This record gives sequence, C-alpha cells and structure tokens, in this order.
Amino acid sequence: MGRKKKKQSKPWCCAQFSLTRFRYCNREFEDEKILIQHQKAKHFKCHICHKKLYTGPGLSIHCMQVHKETIDKVPNSLPNRSNVDIEIYGMEGIPSADLKEHERTKQGSRGNDSGSDDDEPAAKRPKPEGLLGNAPGVMSGMPGMMSGMMPPPGMGHGMPMGPMMQMGHMAPHFMHPGMQMMPPHMQAMMQGQGGPAKPLFPSAIPTSSPGGPSAPIVGADFKPISTGATISAPPTTNTPGGSGDGSKAATIATTGASSKIIHPSEDISLEEIKARHPRYAKSIPSKSDDGASTSSTAASEATIAVSAAQQAAVQQQKHVEAMNQHAAMMQRFPVRVTGPPISMTMGGPIMAPMRHHQMIPGPPLIGGPLMRPPPISMPPGMIGMPPGMVYGAPMFPTGPVLMQPRFR
Amino acid sequence: MKSQTEYKLKSAPEDAVSAVKFGPNTNQFLLVSSWDGYVRLYDVTANNLRHKYAHDTAVLDCCFTDAVHSYSGGLDNTLKSFDFNTTKENIVGTHANAIKCVEYCTEVNGILTGSWDHHLKLWDPRTPICSGSYNQGDKVYTMGVCGEKLVVGTAGRKILVWDIRNMSYTLQKRESNLKYQTRAIRCFPNKQGYVLSSIEGRVAVEYLDTNPEVQKKKYAFKCHRIKEDGLEKIYPVNAISFHPIHNTFATGGSDGYVNIWDGFNKKRLCQFHQYHTSVTSLSFSHNGSVLAIACSYFLEEDNPPNPLPEDIIYIRTVTDQETKPKYSGS
Repeated sequence: MGRKKKKQSKPWCCAQFSLTRFRYCNREFEDEKILIQHQKAKHFKCHICHKKLYTGPGLSIHCMQVHKETIDKVPNSLPNRSNVDIEIYGMEGIPSADLKEHERTKQGSRGNDSGSDDDEPAAKRPKPEGLLGNAPGVMSGMPGMMSGMMPPPGMGHGMPMGPMMQMGHMAPHFMHPGMQMMPPHMQAMMQGQGGPAKPLFPSAIPTSSPGGPSAPIVGADFKPISTGATISAPPTTNTPGGSGDGSKAATIATTGASSKIIHPSEDISLEEIKARHPRYAKSIPSKSDDGASTSSTAASEATIAVSAAQQAAVQQQKHVEAMNQHAAMMQRFPVRVTGPPISMTMGGPIMAPMRHHQMIPGPPLIGGPLMRPPPISMPPGMIGMPPGMVYGAPMFPTGPVLMQPRFR
Repeated sequence: MKSQTEYKLKSAPEDAVSAVKFGPNTNQFLLVSSWDGYVRLYDVTANNLRHKYAHDTAVLDCCFTDAVHSYSGGLDNTLKSFDFNTTKENIVGTHANAIKCVEYCTEVNGILTGSWDHHLKLWDPRTPICSGSYNQGDKVYTMGVCGEKLVVGTAGRKILVWDIRNMSYTLQKRESNLKYQTRAIRCFPNKQGYVLSSIEGRVAVEYLDTNPEVQKKKYAFKCHRIKEDGLEKIYPVNAISFHPIHNTFATGGSDGYVNIWDGFNKKRLCQFHQYHTSVTSLSFSHNGSVLAIACSYFLEEDNPPNPLPEDIIYIRTVTDQETKPKYSGS
C-alpha cells in the first residue's frame, strides 16, 4: 500500500496505532468518504459473512453475536493499532496519541516510539455497554472535565478524571468510544478536517446505554441482541428457591428512557396476575369436602411429590405465605377471617378442616404437604359445582390486585 | 369475516382464550381453552361449536391426545380428560396449584402437566393415574415437547430439559438467554431445538445439542415492538406455534401482531395485519395450511380498557409463500 505522505489534513488510516480510520494501516486518502469505504472494506469487514460494519467495536460485537467468535484485532491493521475496542469512524475517534504520532511521522521523524502509544491488548477493557449516544455535556458534576468528554462506561463516578487526562498513552483504553479524548487543540484540528465532534454513526445507537436514544428498528428481521439492551435496568429475578411465591415479588423495570415494556412491573406471569381476580376464585366448599374424604390418598401422593428441600422451603416461607393466604382470604371470603390463627393455616401436613385454603388461588403452596388427593375414586359429577354457580358468584368491585399489596 | 383467507369462529369463548390447539390429523377440529372455565371443540370447517365441557374455574391449557380425546387443566388444579365420542369427562388428577400447561407426548404416550406448584406430572392416558411427579424448582410457566425431550420454562428464567423416557434426572438445566421472564417455549418439529419468547419483545432460538459448535448457532432477536412518538413499546411475546412441515414458526404478541419467522435462516417471512388486541395463542394445523389465532385482551394493565376487547379466534389460511423458507443465496 502506497503510503502517500500528504498534507496532514489528508484523511489517513491509522490502523497502525489506535486510530481506526486510517489508524489501522496508515494509508492516506484524498477524501473522508473514500476513507470510510476503505475502513469498511478493509478493516471492518466480517471475515465470516463479509458483512461490512462501521467500527471496530461494531465488528467485534457482530462477530460475537452473530458468529459467536471473538475478534481481538482489527483485520489488516498494523500490529500496534489493532485494538478493536476503539471506535473510529472515518477520522473521528482517533486517539490523540495516534494523531500526534501521525503528525510526527509526517514530519519525517518516524520514530519507533510505539511504546508510548496505546498498544495494550492485555488491558482490554470490557466491551462498551453503551456506546455514546449522548451529546457532550450530559455529564455534569465531573469537575475538571473537558466538555465533550464523558467518562467511559467502565469507570465509576468516583474515579477522578483528572489524572487520566495526563496519561496520554492510556487514554485510548479507557476512552469512551466515540468520545474524542484529546487535547483541545487536537479537537480543533479534527474539526477542521471536517469531523465535528458529534456522536458517531447511528448504528452505535442500539447498543446505547439506557439514557441514550435507543433506536432499535421495530420489527426488523432478526436484529441481534445488543449487549446493552434498550431497557434500563437488568431485571430482578426471583431468588432461587424463594420464587417469590408469597414474599414480595420481584419487579421488572418496565420503563426505560425511550422504551416501555408493556407488562405489569411485578415479575410474575400475566396469568398469575389475572388469576387473582375474584372472578376466578374456585368453588371452595364442595372442593374441600372432597379433599377431606380422601385424605389418605392425599398423604401418599404428597410424599411422592415433596422433596426434602422443598419442605425446608415450605418451612421458610410458611409465615409469609400464611400471611398472604390470610390476606387472600380476607378479600375473598371476609366471613372466614375470624378463623383459626394464621400460623395454623399452613401448619401441619394434613389438616382436613383447613384444606380449603389451598383452593384459593393465591400464592402457590410449595409442593404441598397439603396436596389435594386425586379424586380418582370420586364420580366426576360430584366434584365441583356446576359451572354456572362459579360465574354467578358476585364479583368484588375492588380487585385483589389492588388489595393484595396492602397486606404485604 | 375479513376476507376469504381469514374468518372468525362463531360462538367464541366468553373470556380470554388461554390456548388453541388443532387436532392431530385434521384441519377440521380446534380445541380451545378459556378463562371462562370451558374447553370447547370447534369444527372450523363448518364454523360451529361441537362440544364444550367445564372446569370449576379458568382453564389455562388443553391438548389433544388423539382425534377424540382431550386433556385440560387450569386454576382449579385439576386435570380433566374428555372423550368427544362419548362426551364423557373424567377427572384424571390434581396438582397443588394451578395447572399452567398441558402437553401430550406421542413418543411415550403420556400427558405432561406443569403447574405453579413447581411440579411437572406425567400421566398415563390408559390408567388415569399420575405416573410421576417431578420438582422443577419454580413455577412452571411453559413447556414444549420435542420428540421424547421436554423443555420446561419456569419462573426465575430457568429452563429445564428432560428426557421423558427417563425422568429420573434432569438432562440439562439452563438459564434463559433472555433477560426477562420466559413467556413461551415451543420445540422445532425437527427436534433440534426450541424457541423461547420473553415478556420483553424478544425471541431466542436455541439448540438442544450441547456441542459448542451447535451452540454457536443460537441467537435471539427483537420483535413485537411498536414505536410511537419516540417511545418504543415493548410487548410480551405470548404465543409460538411451529409450522409442522417447514420448521418455521409464528409468534404472537400482546401488540396484536403475528409474525412468521424462518428460524434457521434468520428471516421474517411475513407479518399479518394487526389484530384488535393481544394474541394469546397460536396453532398451526397438522399440515400447516391453517393457523388459528386467538385474540384476547391480556395486558393486565391497572386500567384496562372499557369495554374489554372482544375475545375472538381467527382461522387463517396460510400459504407456502408465508410459511416456507425462502432459500436465498448464502
């Protein structure tokens, strides 16, 4: 490749240091457009499917997600400029160290001082979760920061930015891709070259942090999952074993800055939420009678079903569940509230009189020792009420969905 | 009646439809379970209701075991069977909590029920007793049967793979690759893998073979999202149904859309028009020429619309163009 050393204002591909545009191979181009074409074709092309991506991180994410392969070097790049984590597009995003180096090189002093740049494969930081997307200046409260600079995602807020700026050679590693971290004069130079400090190409946006304008394509065919979802917080999942039965259910962060999951915030299935409606309460009396009559069968089946671990879990949750059961009872069957003490409701393995509790749709009993017997011996007609009665039951105007939390 | 390709079933259920399932050998019969407490058998060719039988309360799932027998379970914790020839119903057994899924496995001739009581039970249709109960560690939300393999999705985003012939141990335990609650799982008819959907407008294609080479092929994608005024609404993907021949699948979301996907080539084959409310269940007929689309309000918002959208089951004739993979280059 003929390295035309032209004026410094010429776009150049810095593939050799940490500049991606030209950064990868030091070629120079007449025009930024051509440079971008060069980058896409030469440095950001997926070696597997030949898809042309826009940046190093883009390529690396593409390979990770689509082909499950890790790319640790920008293809066809100079050895010390192969960092895939630096986001360079055209002339934007080239680390300042590389720019300096380039200048130096042009002036004839082609030092082999590559040690002073950012070549640091070992220090690879985790993939950027949120690639920019925010206009400069969003970060307030970072004293001493240049405007137009943001802390890289990996950095905690507590980390002082000041020192970092001095460490020119380190900057690229920590640099938030897409953020020009360079001394002001360099920035000015860049702008002179037609690269205003604007957020980089739009394709970075889908992986943007929650605050950023996420613009996933709706209904787009098989858009790969981006590392940083468009949803704000990671979901809270149920704690193992707890399963949120009776205890406070985990919640889903349904609302992001620009997206909203159309789902109740409680992390249980829609069916469970719907099942709380009094309309779906079972016909308790007839059922509990059935249960009592065949309790021995129940016991035997229960023993099969219940594992030791579960029983432990039952013990643990007994109290909470009992409370919930109680709550459920109160709203559905106000008359019964004066019944036995709460602690009894979930107590012993077989408590025939209390059997009806498990008929109440509510927090599920874990592997219930109270499991209802299989009414095999029963003539089918005896079980349950005629369906008409179920629907004839009065509906409580205040849904349980509203009432439940009060008892928690 | 929208057009010739699609029509509404008459005598639709009076509450949300929880499941629609076509019969094993014919396009004619559709089994429908509903929150109104009934399981209905429709003749979709004649567009009439053939039979219905009742549970004590909402029915959450149903399945055919053969052309004339169905099984169903729901909030009454009870598994019922029904013989459409004799119109005789039977109580097969119970769970300690609501039965969320009912599936039939042809390979072992067994009925599988998954419940919010954390258990999976296996039932033998010849002797209606429970032939096994297996702890799944959490509430069972969905199940897919794949030959003799069973894929169970529970609360807490856990996925369990079982071999139905030997239920003494769990074949695989996985965590869902999707960040949000598992909504539905269905298996590829070619038994290679399964498709999993979450409440957050996303679908994952997974492979059962644990060989790393095979596992590399898994992926996930976004769908069932609507962007309005700069706000992207992300809907649960409630329903998945596989085309029995082409190994393509349809997904239905709370956004009211039905999409058909070619999972192996990562292509969307088509999208139907938007339905009036959430798509809660989908079923391709045995030969894949007809798709049943159940639409019921199922967002469970704090302030549901009033009146609630109608519960409607659409029967749609689909063509190969809509369901067959398009073999393009590469």
